[in-house]
Amino acid sequence: MTHARLQHQLSAYLDGELTPADADEIRTHLVGCAACRETLSRLQHVKSLLQRLPERPVPEELWATIRPRIGTPATPVPAPLREGVRAVFRRPALALAGAVLIVALVAVPLIRGRIERIRAGEIGADFFVREHALLSSEDPFSDRAYLGLLVGDANLALAGTPREESREER
Amino acid sequence: MSRRGLPTLWLVAALAVPGLGAPARLPIPAVDAVVAAMLGAPALVDYEGTKVLNAVRGDRAETVTALESYKRLGKLRVEYLSPESVSGRLIVDDGASSWQYEPSYHLVIRGPSFVRPPGNAPQARDVLRGSLAAVLGVEEVIGRQTIVVAMEPRAGGASRRYWVDQATGVVLRMEERDATGEVVFTSFFTRISFGLNLPPALFRFHLPAGARIISLFLSGDPVASPQALRRQARFGSVVPASLPYGYRFRDGAISQYGALVTSAATYTDGVRTLTVFQTPSSKMAFPRVGVPVTLESTDAQLLDLGYVRVLIWQWRGITYALVGSSLPGSAFVLLADEINH
Repeated sequence: MTHARLQHQLSAYLDGELTPADADEIRTHLVGCAACRETLSRLQHVKSLLQRLPERPVPEELWATIRPRIGTPATPVPAPLREGVRAVFRRPALALAGAVLIVALVAVPLIRGRIERIRAGEIGADFFVREHALLSSEDPFSDRAYLGLLVGDANLALAGTPREESREER
Repeated sequence: MSRRGLPTLWLVAALAVPGLGAPARLPIPAVDAVVAAMLGAPALVDYEGTKVLNAVRGDRAETVTALESYKRLGKLRVEYLSPESVSGRLIVDDGASSWQYEPSYHLVIRGPSFVRPPGNAPQARDVLRGSLAAVLGVEEVIGRQTIVVAMEPRAGGASRRYWVDQATGVVLRMEERDATGEVVFTSFFTRISFGLNLPPALFRFHLPAGARIISLFLSGDPVASPQALRRQARFGSVVPASLPYGYRFRDGAISQYGALVTSAATYTDGVRTLTVFQTPSSKMAFPRVGVPVTLESTDAQLLDLGYVRVLIWQWRGITYALVGSSLPGSAFVLLADEINH
């Protein structure tokens, strides 16, 4: 497997979802790859944060509310809006679901923003080199084969598949 | 040292290089004529050849071999042969956009063209204004007569030498030395054939069946002034109070990749480009690349890719990146301190 593909497997590796052979391959790769070790450590951090979240017990009356409804016809036409809102708050399960939805609406953009910021930091240098190399093509005597190499390498990094060093380059 | 004394000293030193004092077999043209020929070559002739690039990256060197073909006006094809990590990479540039094929990922990346039209007389004047240039002599390269031209930026930093084919103006060999005189980049043809009409089909990209395509056009239209760039950027776009000698603002643009939005201000001395990128730090974690460097007011990271250097730092909620070739690391640090002031 290539570096990029192994990196995509890190989350599954952390969750113990890989076959023993794949897990061994990841372990071997981690010994020599600082970038993957850092990614793994970040994933472990996120996982430990999630594990620290308090568990919310499901209200006992939830199942009692759901059970009689199984197999019954769909609910009739909804009441006017105000009645609907009151009905929601009379049922704790629905209120809980609403609260979860609201939290999700707030939390998801926050988490996404953080992930995008980390990703921007990871690809930032490649992004700058690429854009600079393209701007340098205005230089009258720039070497186009070398510009192609710089732009090409940066393109791969932005696409999530950075060029790996070959043995002869080390 | 006075600015008038510097060119004289430099010319004396350049002419003292061993091997270049040999008697020329052809009359040596004036440097402005050679520069004009170099700029005009892309309009004159097609070629295909094998090129070797050597670049020093930090403490190691990288050697890359490629087949480079060029067709008037502004069509380019480069096939990389070695090392293993780039072997098989193909870049086809039709002057409007470029296509990169990576066989190991069966991936095609489309982006802006990086081939520009031939230069003109004002550009030749810019080159000579930004650099101290001199013809050093005549040498034979791969069996062809070349004029050897030395150019040293007036702002200081790396100097370059070009071996310019006397018949066509095409650069057959190029060498860049850092301020200490050490060669940091070379590029030379080991074989070249000139023609007047290479087949157009060679410069058309054919999409391999089943390949994944990614489009990377990240920059908006360029603007002509720092003020216009600042208006577009919204998060402010600082202009350095002073620039390295000979540099001036060329253009600016807003670039975007995902959530990463940057303003890019480009400065030039007529030969080289210096780009200042600015992006809100809230949108980008600090990139951990290169080696630590200390600025007057904060710390920075310097990434040395040989031909290109990148200095990255954060200051008052903005992440800055200074990217350029040929300028020494100390000039980068000075410029960064100017920006922070």
